[in-house]
Amino acid sequence: MPQLPEPLERLVQELSRLPGVGPKTAQRLAFHLLRADRQRAESLAQAIADVKARIGYCERCYNIAEGSLCAICSSPRRDASVICVVESALDVLAVERTAEFNGLYFVLHGVISPIDGIGPDQIHVPQLLERAREEGVEEVIVATDADIEGEATAVYLQRALAPLGIKVTRPAHGLPVGGDLEYADELTLARAMAGRRSF
Amino acid sequence: MLLRRLLLRNHRNYAHLDISMEPGVNVFLGANGQGKTNLLESVAMLALSASPRARREVELVGPVAAASRIEAEVESSGRRMELVIALNVEGERARRTIEVDGARRRAVDLPGHFRVTLFWPDDLGLIKAGPDQRRRFLNQLLVQVQPGYARALSGLRRILEQRNSLLKRIAAGEAAADQLDVWNAELVRVGTEVVDARASAVNELAPEAARCHAEIGSGERLEIQYLGPPEDMAAAVHNSLAEDLRRGSTSIGPHRDDLRVLLGGQDARGYGSQGQQRTAVVSLKLAEADLVARRTGERPVLLLDDVLSELDLERRGALLRHVGGGGQVVITSVDVGPFPPDLIANASIWNVEAGQIKACG
Repeated sequence: MPQLPEPLERLVQELSRLPGVGPKTAQRLAFHLLRADRQRAESLAQAIADVKARIGYCERCYNIAEGSLCAICSSPRRDASVICVVESALDVLAVERTAEFNGLYFVLHGVISPIDGIGPDQIHVPQLLERAREEGVEEVIVATDADIEGEATAVYLQRALAPLGIKVTRPAHGLPVGGDLEYADELTLARAMAGRRSF
Repeated sequence: MLLRRLLLRNHRNYAHLDISMEPGVNVFLGANGQGKTNLLESVAMLALSASPRARREVELVGPVAAASRIEAEVESSGRRMELVIALNVEGERARRTIEVDGARRRAVDLPGHFRVTLFWPDDLGLIKAGPDQRRRFLNQLLVQVQPGYARALSGLRRILEQRNSLLKRIAAGEAAADQLDVWNAELVRVGTEVVDARASAVNELAPEAARCHAEIGSGERLEIQYLGPPEDMAAAVHNSLAEDLRRGSTSIGPHRDDLRVLLGGQDARGYGSQGQQRTAVVSLKLAEADLVARRTGERPVLLLDDVLSELDLERRGALLRHVGGGGQVVITSVDVGPFPPDLIANASIWNVEAGQIKACG
């Protein structure tokens, strides 16, 4: 490949570090920005700078926040006796969209994974336990993914929280709403049957 | 279960292949090294997601491009489906993409759509080989008939990686020992799924394997036994902690399982002659195809890679009686020597030469 001018090369390099962006996409994006109005490009640069300058993590739940507390933790209408534990701040958005949950959150920013050197301390478990003890929490919903590391993290939290007399729950697995029974994959259907409940 | 059409693009030595298979017996003839096994491998992958023989997936990608593709039209219980396995080389590795009827699926969710019983020369050593090969025999069967098994198996591998990594970290003083509890619990939870599936499969295989064996008639009774982890796996895992920490690996679990094969009450591994062991293998393979048929109500596609020439008349006869039983069969051979004339007369014959396949009447 012919050598790109240094600033352009640097932009391609930076873009290709983003998740889901390969070298080809990075080039396309870089050339797109090169062609774009100066104003558009500067507005993107400013937005990135602002995010880093103004958004941090909530002191209480590690969700994204503009001040020391996130919008959810600082709302007086939320029920502080229930905490929903999630893997990432994106999961908070997903649960919030349901409008079903009125408690507070705790964002782990990861899961327990010895291969990656991530243990309970790296995902703020001590802080979660302290919060559960001090804030009179009654229930913790562990909404980590249903993969191996997500399950292991859930088991760890369950074992750590149960001795504090706190109810620990997991969201249910089952049939998608409005889905046809006959099209459900066998495993999902099997889990849904095992987890059936009476009317 | 039927394989209607198979398309290969840059798979091993096939630059481009498009063939329509017949429902009955399909015989592929060709000298060694022309691509007979590569063909069967691609069909087996459609049932298993992964190649039963390649160590690294990049091996599967041919020389023409940095990508390969296996496409098939299959029919299960009268319903047609399109399956695709695409590989894209990225650096040292190949990324696999799987589609069922145009929708992306995870590798663990492909098995079960198309089912095969694969029998190739490697299997002839099943009795003598290490336990890993007999576990693979059970795994290849179970991913196809037991919903959730492929997922449990891949979960088990992941749990072992995580647990072994943690054992090493604990031994090096980098992590606290109390973190092991969750991985022990996960090992037991997912391990139990695998163990239950294997135990019931072996129970189901046993009578049919014994029946086939009696039919081929060497006189001795064939028995098979599942050798799994201790009944109380949780206690066994707990009791092995010191040993595991010392070794940096997990000593208890279904990854150590075996299938014991007995002939006349004696372990066939040490006791049986090569001929007796081969009879046992043919019986196990026929029992495998039978189990798939009973569990799913449909015969699997039987894939026989050049095994007939390795068997004597009686064993070959037992296998061919099954072949003549009506399901779809794909057989490879160097020549028509091992086949009875009436089978050849009713079969579709194909010639395989240097990655090209032609029908020959």
